Amino acid sequence: MLHDVRVLEISAPETMLAGQILGDLGADVITIEPPAGAAGRRIEPFLDGVPGLERSLTWLALNRNKKAVTLDLNSHDGRDVFRALVERADIVIEAEGGASIKDLLPGQVIHCPIASFSRGGPKAQYRATDLVVMAASGAPTLAGDPDRPPLFFPIAQAMMEAGAEAAVAALAALSARDRKGVSQSAEVTARVAALLGALGQAVAGSSGDRVPSRDDRATRRIPSVYACRDGFMLISVSLNPALAHLAKGLAEWVVELGHFPRNLVEIEWSGLDALLDSGALPASFPDDLVSAVAKACETRTKAELMAVAHARGFMAAPVNTMADIGSFEQFHERGLFAQTTIQGDGREILVPLRFAQFSDYSMELRHPAPLLSQHTSEVFGEWIGLSRTEVQALFVHGVI
Amino acid sequence: MVAPLEGLHVLDLGWLMVGPISARYLTDLGAETIKLESGRRKDPLRSMAPFKDGERGAERSVVYHMINAGKRSLAMDIRSPAGREVVLRLVEWADVLIESFSPGMIDRMGYSYRELSTINPRLIMVSTGILGRTGPYGLGTSGTGITGSAFAGATALLGWPDREPKGPSGPWTDSVAPRFVVSSILAALHRRETSGTGCYIDVAQAECGLQFLLPAFAECSAHQRPMERQGRAGSPLRCPSGIFPCKGEDRWIAIDASDSASWLALKNVVGAPASNPDFDTLIGRLRRRQDIETIIGEWTRSQDPHGLEARLQGLQIAAHVVCNATDLAEDSDLKHYGHYHRVVDPVIGEFTVTGPQFRLTATPHLPARPGPRIGDAADEILSSICGLSEGDIAKLKTNGILG
Repeated sequence: MLHDVRVLEISAPETMLAGQILGDLGADVITIEPPAGAAGRRIEPFLDGVPGLERSLTWLALNRNKKAVTLDLNSHDGRDVFRALVERADIVIEAEGGASIKDLLPGQVIHCPIASFSRGGPKAQYRATDLVVMAASGAPTLAGDPDRPPLFFPIAQAMMEAGAEAAVAALAALSARDRKGVSQSAEVTARVAALLGALGQAVAGSSGDRVPSRDDRATRRIPSVYACRDGFMLISVSLNPALAHLAKGLAEWVVELGHFPRNLVEIEWSGLDALLDSGALPASFPDDLVSAVAKACETRTKAELMAVAHARGFMAAPVNTMADIGSFEQFHERGLFAQTTIQGDGREILVPLRFAQFSDYSMELRHPAPLLSQHTSEVFGEWIGLSRTEVQALFVHGVI
Repeated sequence: MVAPLEGLHVLDLGWLMVGPISARYLTDLGAETIKLESGRRKDPLRSMAPFKDGERGAERSVVYHMINAGKRSLAMDIRSPAGREVVLRLVEWADVLIESFSPGMIDRMGYSYRELSTINPRLIMVSTGILGRTGPYGLGTSGTGITGSAFAGATALLGWPDREPKGPSGPWTDSVAPRFVVSSILAALHRRETSGTGCYIDVAQAECGLQFLLPAFAECSAHQRPMERQGRAGSPLRCPSGIFPCKGEDRWIAIDASDSASWLALKNVVGAPASNPDFDTLIGRLRRRQDIETIIGEWTRSQDPHGLEARLQGLQIAAHVVCNATDLAEDSDLKHYGHYHRVVDPVIGEFTVTGPQFRLTATPHLPARPGPRIGDAADEILSSICGLSEGDIAKLKTNGILG
């Protein structure tokens, strides 16, 4: 798709997913790291729990389909090399706060800078770790039981939100160049990007509606995670009238198993909420249905329950662990995965590559995550005609 | 200063979140978007909280507007022969078509990519679903971002080790997937500049969600052991790093003071309880994590979260309130950014929507607008785009095809 697009990614945690998405879509992506290695190489988890510049599984996971070079962008000679490289580039992605390269960018390049908070705003100088940006996003605040702190993901997410948004922003700017002949900056703010994850909460505070809390007894909340024989199953029972037919399928199943009375399911499901409000259905109805579902799940595996849900058309999903995902027939048959060997280690791993399936294009794993400076000689030779001697000279001077 | 996608035509047959959020991205960028809906089976998002002034009602949802900002609506029965004629004219007009019906339904309705691309070879058609259209469970798997999150591995990662997994509080893959949908569409548009042809794009929400969790997947693939839910926020390799209780109901602050300079600054403001020299090195802090977290929690517990955030950031310590909806509406950073816009709608009056997700400096997004009332642009769409006469339109109305 993007085979004629060249991207320079000045590596930072927030840029990694952006460069990867563009690389997956076919762009030629070069990630530029300082000679001592990018910050992304110092993010856990590490292979076998032993850290090292070639052992970060986060680096491995977010840098496929890229080539890697090193360059000291704070040095006179490094900046000179960068200036030559960027003449050949279409898009430059960077996180603000790194080496200052803005003045080296020619007019025709698309610049995609990522900041944490609003530029020039009251929080522009904030120390912003991933945890802090996610806290500011509003997304975690309602997660988890009210008797404990709200739940945050055990892996960094602000960098994912920012990176994914930056891929869109860069491509939007590419559209502007294609369609309107204009190059420009496409500015991403990580906190605003992550705010999308809060969905309706972003506008709830100004709507005049009650702001939900984790302790809400006012909303009828039906538990959705059920223990089953080999883990957990998520079964969604929605009281929304448009989704009521799905609850009906579930109820009919537990009736057939003998865990629920038949007369209680022969109702107008799209009016369930009203039936409960009016007392036409007992107040214990949701709890009784939940107990029946729990009983049905106890003795069955995720795979069995998934087959039942699929056959009967109710909304359910296995609570997949990463191990489940790696052996999930659905993902394998669909062609989600590519396979690769961890460079320098030899272990084979699966790569969940194909986030979209196109009728006439297939995302391929052209490069596994690169080793430090793996492509410096090759790229500097091909893109800007530096000789082997010249590359060696840069190295002995610490520029690469 | 023309928007980048000015002149692009988008047909949005999506409902709820993924399709419509993706279409909004394109609409903000200047595309002309028609939300093609059914009057009989209304988009459930139209009646989803939060509501304007807390009044429930079919057309009072504020989040509906947030997600459908700037579109125009045509409501009709697309399965009828007369409706089909209209749809096919719209397909001729469209550059991009997004649908999120139950996978396979679009084909059964007679609108498969094979048929539509014959009519319009430049069409970029996108189908979004939970698991996609292929594989043993693609067709026939309906769901929302709640089930998508479970398939993607997110649900399993959120919860406490001594309790069942809870998962994200909302339909998480609904916000993740659109970035991948839109990237794919924009890439296809770029290619179309030279190839002249469109394509079909099949996106599975679960597969997109997994992209945000790739480090956990890579770890399991390498070690053959899945990452487990850990409950507490913050990295186990940093101390202090986590969230701490503040004054008020369910109020928390995120703090990371793990590097030396930050710890010294934090220790200074916390005072005596934090002055133990054991805490002055990283290794010392990691080994006394429980004690340190208790001390910090006791210090933060009586404090207002916003005051604390300002004070700590003033000392260059990474900290932020764990924002609830009220915090977001009043946040100084979002105000400075200008992320919130007042718009007016004929039914609910004045209210606030969010702006676009990023900024372009030379070809800016269009200003934020409300979403459409159901069928609000039927007449103009049918006459100016589909070329129907007043008589034709009247006939569609009397035959019950419209609305």
